Amino acid sequence: MEEKNTLLIADDVMINRELLKDIFEENYEILEASNGEEAIELLDKHQDEIALLFLDLVMPKKDGLEVMHHMSLNGMISTIPVIMITGEATVESDVRAYELGAADIIYKPFEPAVVIRRAQNIIELFRHRISIEKELELRTQELIESKRKIEQSNIFLTNALSAVVEFRSLESGEHIQRVKKFTRIMLWHWRALFGENQFTNEQIELMVNASALHDVGKIAIPDNILLKPGRLTDEEYAEMKKHTIYGCQMLEHFKQEENEFYQYCYDICRYHHERYNGKGYPDGLQGDEIPVWAQVVSIVDVYDALVNKRVYKDSFTIDQAFRMIHDGECGIFSPKLLECFDDAREELTIETQKEQQKVENGKGG
Amino acid sequence: MVYMIEELYNHIGGDYAKAISRMQNDERIKKYLKFFLMDESYQQLAQAMEAHNCEEAFRGAHTLKGVSQNMAFAVLGNIVEQITEELRAKDFDKALETFPKVTESYQKVIEEIKRIME
Repeated sequence: MEEKNTLLIADDVMINRELLKDIFEENYEILEASNGEEAIELLDKHQDEIALLFLDLVMPKKDGLEVMHHMSLNGMISTIPVIMITGEATVESDVRAYELGAADIIYKPFEPAVVIRRAQNIIELFRHRISIEKELELRTQELIESKRKIEQSNIFLTNALSAVVEFRSLESGEHIQRVKKFTRIMLWHWRALFGENQFTNEQIELMVNASALHDVGKIAIPDNILLKPGRLTDEEYAEMKKHTIYGCQMLEHFKQEENEFYQYCYDICRYHHERYNGKGYPDGLQGDEIPVWAQVVSIVDVYDALVNKRVYKDSFTIDQAFRMIHDGECGIFSPKLLECFDDAREELTIETQKEQQKVENGKGG
Repeated sequence: MVYMIEELYNHIGGDYAKAISRMQNDERIKKYLKFFLMDESYQQLAQAMEAHNCEEAFRGAHTLKGVSQNMAFAVLGNIVEQITEELRAKDFDKALETFPKVTESYQKVIEEIKRIME
């Protein structure tokens, strides 16, 4: 950092300025102001060079108080130390000077040796503090940047892993992306509706990313079942259901204790086919035993399957899908989840139509 | 010259040792003595006393006090400090009583300075 090498002396009495000038002119450039207005002008013009301001409180035009006020408004009070010069040592005037942001107070008449030492100390202190603050700012920037990179590689990895599933299961390539979008919409509405479950923005994004992995266990399902165009036999269906378990087994290889993201991934893989009435699989959990994030993914997974064409079925309209979900045709969801689903209906509809438009355009081109 | 400056401080009731520690040498002290002649705070005080302007008088006295004390003019500094406090307390009648003493002390200092400057 470049060293600031200028002192500003603001005092209306020339003798006082001269005394300070004599003390410091050997080592510093000196600027002088004989009133508050001049001081403010010089501060504005030279704020990057001024290492210290000696400020008299009682001055014509604008007084020291107004000079400090100006410095506060312009952020200079934290970068330029002010040593207040005062004629009398009363507790009130001292307290007032410090309240205004003075770094130190010097009483007239000055003792040069003391003034020099104090000025040096304060200049050093500010220099040190400013460099620490800059260092801290730099470190914070680096931290934010590396956190962003980690988040990006998380997204990349979850997308890559889920793409493997899509590739094998011949499902529409956009299913995962839509589930993520719908999950995000639902979680925001959930948070707005039910204050008791205040997820942070960060947590919501972790859940959204985890939702991409909901079907990752399908990798372990044999082709003759996964890709079967017709109806599955009971036996085949039983195997298909195990994708929830297989997904968790895979994740367990990468288990990270106390890791929130891992927990969301695990819960979503395992419980996204559980139902409120305990009739889901694989564990038959009931009611609130099913984590909210898994509940949310379960409803948007069903919704997306309904409004899109699959090898085994045609697509339903958005209205039909909402009605079928409410009627329990795809399993029973919690009343709160359904309330949230209705609350999010407008946004889900807009997003669904946007996605369908994309598919249409894809066909045309 | 050493003797002259020290003598001046003795004549006007100043503290030469303090002055030297503050201004380092007689050359410098002489420079400040010249500045002291140019300082207008006494005139500000005198005019304000004449006009019964207590606030303006306080400002003049306050400045003169600072300057006198910086110069280590002990006697003048003390009497100016007294009138400064009286004016701060808005006791103008008291200040009127004190003012002639300020003038007397100030004149003496000015005369002595002028004498050695010649």
